[in-house]
Amino acid sequence: MLSRSLKIGIVCPYSWDTPGGVQNHIRDLAEFLIASGHDVSVLAPALDETQLPDYVVNAGKPISIPYNGAVARVLFGPVAFARVRQWISQGDFDLLHLHEPAIPSISLLACWAADGPMVGTFHAAAKRQKIIFAIGPILEPAIEKLSARIAVSEAARLTLTDHLDTDAVIIPNGIYTDRYTDGKPQAKWSGNTIGFIGRFEEPRKGLSVLVDALPVISRFAPDVKVFVAGPGNPEEVIESIDPQLRQRFEFLGKISETEKADFMSSVAVYVAPNTGGESFGIILAEALAGGACVIASDIPAFDDLLGQGEYGALFESESSTALAKVVIDLLRDEKKRKDLSRRGKARAAMFDWTVVAQQIFSVYEMSIVGSQKVRLASDTRPWNRFLSKEEKP
Amino acid sequence: MTRWLVSVLLLLVTLWYLSFTATRLDRLHHRVETSWANLDVLLQKRAAVALEIAHSDIADPASSMLLTAAAYQARDANIQNRSQAESGLSGALGLLLEDSAHLATAADSALLTELSALTDKIRVAIAIHTDSVARTQMIRRKLIVRLFRLAGTAPLPITYEFESDVL
Repeated sequence: MLSRSLKIGIVCPYSWDTPGGVQNHIRDLAEFLIASGHDVSVLAPALDETQLPDYVVNAGKPISIPYNGAVARVLFGPVAFARVRQWISQGDFDLLHLHEPAIPSISLLACWAADGPMVGTFHAAAKRQKIIFAIGPILEPAIEKLSARIAVSEAARLTLTDHLDTDAVIIPNGIYTDRYTDGKPQAKWSGNTIGFIGRFEEPRKGLSVLVDALPVISRFAPDVKVFVAGPGNPEEVIESIDPQLRQRFEFLGKISETEKADFMSSVAVYVAPNTGGESFGIILAEALAGGACVIASDIPAFDDLLGQGEYGALFESESSTALAKVVIDLLRDEKKRKDLSRRGKARAAMFDWTVVAQQIFSVYEMSIVGSQKVRLASDTRPWNRFLSKEEKP
Repeated sequence: MTRWLVSVLLLLVTLWYLSFTATRLDRLHHRVETSWANLDVLLQKRAAVALEIAHSDIADPASSMLLTAAAYQARDANIQNRSQAESGLSGALGLLLEDSAHLATAADSALLTELSALTDKIRVAIAIHTDSVARTQMIRRKLIVRLFRLAGTAPLPITYEFESDVL
């Protein structure tokens, strides 16, 4: 895939041991790059140092801050800054790949500290925040140091252009499609079934929209069953369900990757009723790869990923009546379901790591042309050069 | 005494800010140069591939002529009409690829794969270049930069109008 082996440093802003989209993306990317012969080091905060894979360097214990409607476990401060500087100066990297460098985290610190080829990936999609007028002037000189910027979706790109007046190349998140393509349909999940995967306790995942839609759906499809997979305590959700419909729901808990593949190929429709805060929707890409017929809310990220309804059905976000209508329509029409899942499966190919990593690597190549290796920015300032000479005789 | 201290502090902060902005600007100028050099190399490569395609079986004689002319124009263009010439080449390639996609043989499809890989790279290179030019222009418009001539003798980078949508 490439001409020479590179030494790449990747910075993960969020705690490595907390599950999350950015962490998964970085793990898969790092492993793909290592498998294709590169030397990769990932700097990430972590709670438990003993659980880390050998390519991850621990940056320290993260702290929890509220960010973009959720709690983010990040790390910053003088000690972390020293760790970041040490990692950069010892790493001798050809290139740094910083994830989410616009939030207070070690990614931003690395962006401050380093000089040389740097690529930044912007994951988040958020509405324009007023606060940007205050922090823009601090962020801009740092973000400007990135030789190239990547946004994971059109929504993330718009967030970036809105906030920081700079553009980005869109490269989607990657999945290993072959992990999902050979799922075996399971009888227990087949029939008139609706699938849902996610941390259902979080309101923005939108399970309540599906719960509210079920009375109408069950009137037209009396044997309908809903399977909810994902970590969390279902008791509170069960409380909110009409007692007569409770036996229509089954909570599976967290399921493995192989089970996920089987799940996607078994359920009649897969529903993603998320109400917002979603930038890409990796679970939809996985569902498409697994051959599921996908129904999703029409938030920008999903609308984009499903090609405005070409690869999966969309419904008006937060409207349970709209969801019920689409579900009933598809449960009754097997041909339509097959059509959607066939087109969706073809669509998923463009999210495969072989395609996505190649695109990311092209950006790497563009960024390192004609530049030196990554150094500490302070080493290149004239007075520091003078000072450090005096310190080290 | 305090007034003296404050004015020294103020002077130091101003000096730091000037040096900070100068470093920032220097980095941007460097970026403009390297990103342009990089883009230039890629565009030259594309012209070479276009010529190869023109001489292969993919192109019929008429398209071959059109493509050869466009490729030579792109190669020889000076900075003023470079953009136009490159767009012309993009157009010629687009015309050809539109209706020859189905009749390419194995040897020719290697050329086409090379071209599409190049096109992807060019798209990224253009994004990087136009962004660095826009940034540089923005910083150079600042009063402090003009007042202290922080840009030195570096020429103001010009915006290069690429029509990335025809690529």
